[in-house]
Amino acid sequence: MKRIGFLVNPVAGMGGTVGLKGTDGLYDEAVKRGANPGSWRRALATMSRIHDCGFHFVTCSGPMGEDILVKAGIPGYDVVYRAPARSFSSDTRAACQGFLEAGVEMILFCGGDGTARDLFDVVLGKIPILGIPAGVKMYSSVFAVSPGAAADVMKSLSPACGVSPKRIPIRETEVVDVDEEAYRHGELKTRLYGFAKSPYLPGLVQSTKQVFEERDEERAKEAISRFLAEVVRGTPEILYILGPGTTTGSIAQQCGIKKTLLGFDAMKECRLVGTDLNEKDMLGLLDREEKVRLVVSIIGAQGSVLGRGTQQVSPAVLKRIGVDNIIIIATPHKLQETPVLFFDTGDPDLDGSFGDFVSVISGYRVAQRKPVARNRT
Amino acid sequence: MDLMKTKILLDEEEIPRRWYNIMADLPSPLDPPLHPQTGKPVVPDDLSAIFPMDLIRQEMSPERFIDIPEDVRDVLRLWRPSPLYRANRLEKFLKTPARIYYKYEGVSPPGSHKPNTAVAQAYYNMKEGKERIATETGAGQWGSALAFATQIFDLECTVYMVRSSYAQKPYRKSMMQVWGAECIPSPSTKTRSGRAVLEKDPETTGSLGIAISEAVEDAASHPNTNYSLGSVLNHVCIHQSITGLESREQMAQVDDYPDIVIGCVGGGSNFAGISFPFAGDKLTGKHPDVEIIGAEPASCPTLTRGLYTYDFGDVAGLTPLLKMFTLGHDFVPPSIHAGGLRYHGDSPIVSRLVHDGVIRAVSYHQSEVFDAGQIFARTEGIIIAPETSHAVRAAIDEAIKCRQTGEAKSILFNCSGHGHFDMSAYDAFYAGQLVDYEYPEQLIRDSLSRLPKIGQ
Ligand SMILES: Cc1ncc(COP(=O)(O)O)c(C=O)c1O
Repeated sequence: MKRIGFLVNPVAGMGGTVGLKGTDGLYDEAVKRGANPGSWRRALATMSRIHDCGFHFVTCSGPMGEDILVKAGIPGYDVVYRAPARSFSSDTRAACQGFLEAGVEMILFCGGDGTARDLFDVVLGKIPILGIPAGVKMYSSVFAVSPGAAADVMKSLSPACGVSPKRIPIRETEVVDVDEEAYRHGELKTRLYGFAKSPYLPGLVQSTKQVFEERDEERAKEAISRFLAEVVRGTPEILYILGPGTTTGSIAQQCGIKKTLLGFDAMKECRLVGTDLNEKDMLGLLDREEKVRLVVSIIGAQGSVLGRGTQQVSPAVLKRIGVDNIIIIATPHKLQETPVLFFDTGDPDLDGSFGDFVSVISGYRVAQRKPVARNRT
Repeated sequence: MDLMKTKILLDEEEIPRRWYNIMADLPSPLDPPLHPQTGKPVVPDDLSAIFPMDLIRQEMSPERFIDIPEDVRDVLRLWRPSPLYRANRLEKFLKTPARIYYKYEGVSPPGSHKPNTAVAQAYYNMKEGKERIATETGAGQWGSALAFATQIFDLECTVYMVRSSYAQKPYRKSMMQVWGAECIPSPSTKTRSGRAVLEKDPETTGSLGIAISEAVEDAASHPNTNYSLGSVLNHVCIHQSITGLESREQMAQVDDYPDIVIGCVGGGSNFAGISFPFAGDKLTGKHPDVEIIGAEPASCPTLTRGLYTYDFGDVAGLTPLLKMFTLGHDFVPPSIHAGGLRYHGDSPIVSRLVHDGVIRAVSYHQSEVFDAGQIFARTEGIIIAPETSHAVRAAIDEAIKCRQTGEAKSILFNCSGHGHFDMSAYDAFYAGQLVDYEYPEQLIRDSLSRLPKIGQ
């Protein structure tokens, strides 16, 4: 791949630093609270690592692209969209239209979930997109795990940067829509927005020959969920609360149930008991039920098990469930790019009670032992 | 007492003339293997389709000692008696008051303890007029050992090699070729059992249980062909006793006797070999205090987490039901580098002794095991197989306990093979790519609670 569209959402992430759970429609409020644009730094972190990879970039003027290319020392780009001083989602969409017309083979962008959706509106599944994470929420899986990882993925697509791939693994991944208004009120309302194409992230270790393909990841999810569905069926007396994600979703699916993508749903004997539970709902269930197990998946690379986007399962809920009744799941690929896990429930003693290692279900009747980070700040 | 001697050697004429059969010293007979269809105890005729009569007799023998045929002893001379080493450098490194000895079986031509039984099995099959032997191999050690042995006795040999090892260790397959054997990745399309597995899961890593099904099916469907198993069965444990018998002599040379005997456990044969003569001493009251420890992977913890019950030896359910510790014959262990330890079951005798508390078992994660392998290579010099490193881990842990308590115990372990064909596993270790697989015991039990019980 050579011709790459490059786009930055200059205001992405601003809301997060000042306690707003997103920036969509809240730019003015964010500025009033003292937020400064910061996404350019993350974009630069990626671009300065791939400046000599021989890509030809097609971009927007000013802070939406050109400024960063100049800072990164990348020569010979085309500007196909004139960005106004203060950009909106309409600019993202218009720029993408311009990229497509200019014949780019892929778009590299920097932003958050909202930016991903804007791209997707125009690009759909026509060409792959890859995100440099810089937003408040990044539930869509078109994002690399970090700016450095985004650079690594880009390098793997470039013959000039040493690793000339025989085939570029491209997979279909979810773009999700989180209702920001509801999210700010402690409620996670999401829906699947669509499936974009994205280059598969080959993990942090570039030297491995192991190429994880879409197929492997899907197989792994299937194996995990097949095993846990058997566990659920084998323990009709236990209530299961399934956390957000596609793997937990596929456990529900194996049970013939449809689960919310980002919510906590409860089921017993493969019957749905409640969806999108908040803390109060869960405490209510815990009052009624003899034994409750929680199934959560990890967030790849950063390693968060509890505490990122899981506010509903408060320390009170977790204590009632009991550390031993928390089942952690993750695909082998995710675990490979995640050296350590961490818990950040808001209660340090509770975090500590998980011990130095936890067992993570990674396949059919298989688990992996993973170290838990201590005093993570 | 010549304590600082490094190699304790026996003369060629001191190769034992008889194998030891611990069955004679068990307080009560083993639960018999059961016929897979009738559920009745198997009789010799049930087995004669795939095993020679001499081996069937050994399998069921109550005799304490069994003569080693001279033709077999003659081949064993190529590397036996194997050396017993005093691990002076390892002891120093660990700052332990313990005395550590290891019986090095890596000196055999294929590089492990496996030919101790491969040679005997090939010999008995040749004597019975068979022309070909089919077998399975996990890590490739057994396949190459049987290739070596069949070639000596002019038999053909077909080896079904677990697919994940076939990919990890291409040179094992090259060795088999040099010794004239055919090596096929398993599951294969050659057998009905293999095709059934592939149909369900075309990407399967394979397992010993699957490869056994294929080899048994191959043997059962060809009249000139017998089957051979490299571990688990009683006659294999009998043949392997030669290592423990020699070790006891060698330790006596330096006036020592082990307080602790250790081996790694896959199907249990090298562990049985090193430990049964000592377990016999324990059972008969000669040395009631000797401690015997089997070391297995945490990802495939048959003895530490399995159930003691009747189960099939293979995935397809073609073998007799054996009373043993098992994780379930359909369990496909994760693809660890110690491929030779990826087996759902265990030797019925080892299982019985664990059940009776004569022997105990420990389990380790991959990274702990490779740490031990590295320590061993950097002190004693030998680069050992990942299977063997499990035993070294246990020996190191026991020696460290001695450092803490100040006890000068005598520790013997079976150094079952070298790791010259396992270098990609060491590479993975140094690249930080080893995965510490575990066996989620409680959840597996939960998932099985509604399924019909196996065996009984
Ligand atoms: C070097 C080595 N040690 C140990 C084993 C485990 O087998 P067993 O338990 O039958 O000794 C193997 C099996 O392949 C092996 O190759």
